[in-house]
Amino acid sequence: MTPESAGMNKLFDQAELECLRALLDAIIPADDFPSAWEAGVGDYLQRQLAGDLAKALPDYRAWLAQLTAEARAQYGRGFAQLRLSERTGLLRRIEADEVQTQWAIAPGGFFREIVEACAEGYYSDPGNGGNRDGIAWRMVGFEVTA
Amino acid sequence: MSEYDAIVVGAGAGGGVAAAVLTAAGKSVLLLERGRALSFAAVGRDHLRNQRMPVYGHNAGPDIDGNPRTIDASSLPRLVGEALGDKRLLKPHQPGYQNNAACVGSGTRVYAGQAWRFMPQDFRMASEYGVPAGSSLADWPLSYEDLAPYYEKVEWEIGICGDHRGMTHLPAYKKPYPMPALPLPYKSTVHKSGLQRLGWQALRVPRLINSQPYNGRQACINCQHCVGFACPADAKNGSHNTTVPRALSSGNCTLLTEVMVEKLAVSAGGAVTGVTFIDAEQKRRTIRADVIVLSCGAVETARLLLNSATAQEPAGIGNGGDQVGRNLQGHYYPSAVGLFPETMFDGMGPGCSIATCQFNHGNDGIIGGGFLGDEDIVTPITLWKRFYPPDAPRWGSAAKRFMRENYRRINDVTGPVQEIPSPDARVSINPQVRDRYGIPVAHLSGATHPETVRTARFMHQRAREWLRASGAIQVWGMPPPRYLSGGQHQAGTCRMGEDPTTSVVDPFCRVHSQERLFIADGSPHVTNGGFNPVETIMALAWRTAETIVKTW
Repeated sequence: MTPESAGMNKLFDQAELECLRALLDAIIPADDFPSAWEAGVGDYLQRQLAGDLAKALPDYRAWLAQLTAEARAQYGRGFAQLRLSERTGLLRRIEADEVQTQWAIAPGGFFREIVEACAEGYYSDPGNGGNRDGIAWRMVGFEVTA
Repeated sequence: MSEYDAIVVGAGAGGGVAAAVLTAAGKSVLLLERGRALSFAAVGRDHLRNQRMPVYGHNAGPDIDGNPRTIDASSLPRLVGEALGDKRLLKPHQPGYQNNAACVGSGTRVYAGQAWRFMPQDFRMASEYGVPAGSSLADWPLSYEDLAPYYEKVEWEIGICGDHRGMTHLPAYKKPYPMPALPLPYKSTVHKSGLQRLGWQALRVPRLINSQPYNGRQACINCQHCVGFACPADAKNGSHNTTVPRALSSGNCTLLTEVMVEKLAVSAGGAVTGVTFIDAEQKRRTIRADVIVLSCGAVETARLLLNSATAQEPAGIGNGGDQVGRNLQGHYYPSAVGLFPETMFDGMGPGCSIATCQFNHGNDGIIGGGFLGDEDIVTPITLWKRFYPPDAPRWGSAAKRFMRENYRRINDVTGPVQEIPSPDARVSINPQVRDRYGIPVAHLSGATHPETVRTARFMHQRAREWLRASGAIQVWGMPPPRYLSGGQHQAGTCRMGEDPTTSVVDPFCRVHSQERLFIADGSPHVTNGGFNPVETIMALAWRTAETIVKTW
């Protein structure tokens, strides 16, 4: 974890952060380019949840808590303890609102918001906290010449 | 006692020209701008907060807090903002607000400078097509020939690059552009071939950009952050680096920034004699001048007139005919997007280089049309948000791979559809909501005329045909639904005409009810062409300012 994200830990406790990381890294997994978390999307999102998206923080926390409960109900383990293939399968069902526990917040609808925020962090300018060193731009071929 | 010969409110496209022309004629001018003078660094390169992609904010003003507007919920294509009965409260970066940058230069600070002359037919739309029921379609009280000399002045004085020989949809130019067109990026050569395959006109997009050193500034360096951002080479020609500095260097111009004009000041007889504004120190001041020019953009100019009710004009200055604020229009963009088998992106900005005016007019059973052009460089997050295929994966390894493989292979073509004006598409005042200065805000209501939607659908099909002809293997996109349009191309709210009961300003953009009050922005446009309007705004402002000087 970078010093910056360590400094923002007050938004989430350690278990929530692990869940968030497992979630973001299922949305944009590592291949020969970094995962969402490795590229700084965790920093982006925490910065946003302390700023422009501050009103959404309770929803993020509630959704992550329910994600953990859903993972336990379906796999007997927390979301962060699941393998990538298990996380992907579970998220695919959540995206389709196929859930086994009682969600107080739209499972698929809010997931799509998180996906959007994750993409914002990964593909927008590094000044926003994600896309560290412009790595996502190198991946897609967006080169800044001036 | 007048302290200045003239006060110009707003330092954007129109206000800059007015200040430059008036000061060149020896008049003393007070130029008032509600925004700041922004440095290149202050504009920045935030891909989520810029004039092109304002997800969380703006980079060129107005400030997100303290500058709200309201809009009827029914005028929005989808609900945004905060509920306020059947209205929505909007911040400047939210869709529906109809934002124009608020800074020295206004939109010209962050535009990509597409510089189009309107066509002769654009000035006589009612005569060409008749007036559809429910629309306020009308002819301009002036013709292309009246404006052509001023287009030429703008092309040479402000600096426009292009190839006049390719503008075959227009009467022959008397003078070429002062600079050749920008070089073609690879993708534009592909789209040019597409046009040639279809037998459609193909022209080089004229730009308010230096393609070679001009007016003491250097040439475009083809960066990737043109539209929505400031120019790293200072090669884009906007008010901030042409007309405003010219006015200031005359010694006749005082520029005050971060001042908000509250209302027009009038004499006991109701004649406009000055403006009352709140200055950067939050002090209210009234300053008098012989001539007042409003260049605040179609929304804010209308708001200022409506907020300036007097005993003689209780519905607002210039509003005796109940016309101020009506006919708000911008442009519909019927974009189509295509996936190409080859890499289209070579990183050469600004991007939009090839266009066709094949469908601006003469479309069977359709009113008007617009040009279609290829696109300026699309940032990765903008592609994700605006141009992503609806059937492509949005998350997981497949989505990441899709972006990696296809960012450089996706291209859209688009262009501004000429709107058919509706009198119900309107700016009024919401006295219940005040801005940070305590001034009642603009309320927006109504929607464009249904004929606009029909024309946009037609143009969307043409955009799809072009992409296919250019070799796209998959094409997607939807024509826009009916909603209230205005945006950066906002126009029409103080329409020009001979008759004070159906228009706000006369053919020289003087407010009918006032001797010394003029408008120099998009508000007087009777219709807004199927083109980016900035060159027309500048040309009309030039003509207006010249008339003010001649008839002083």
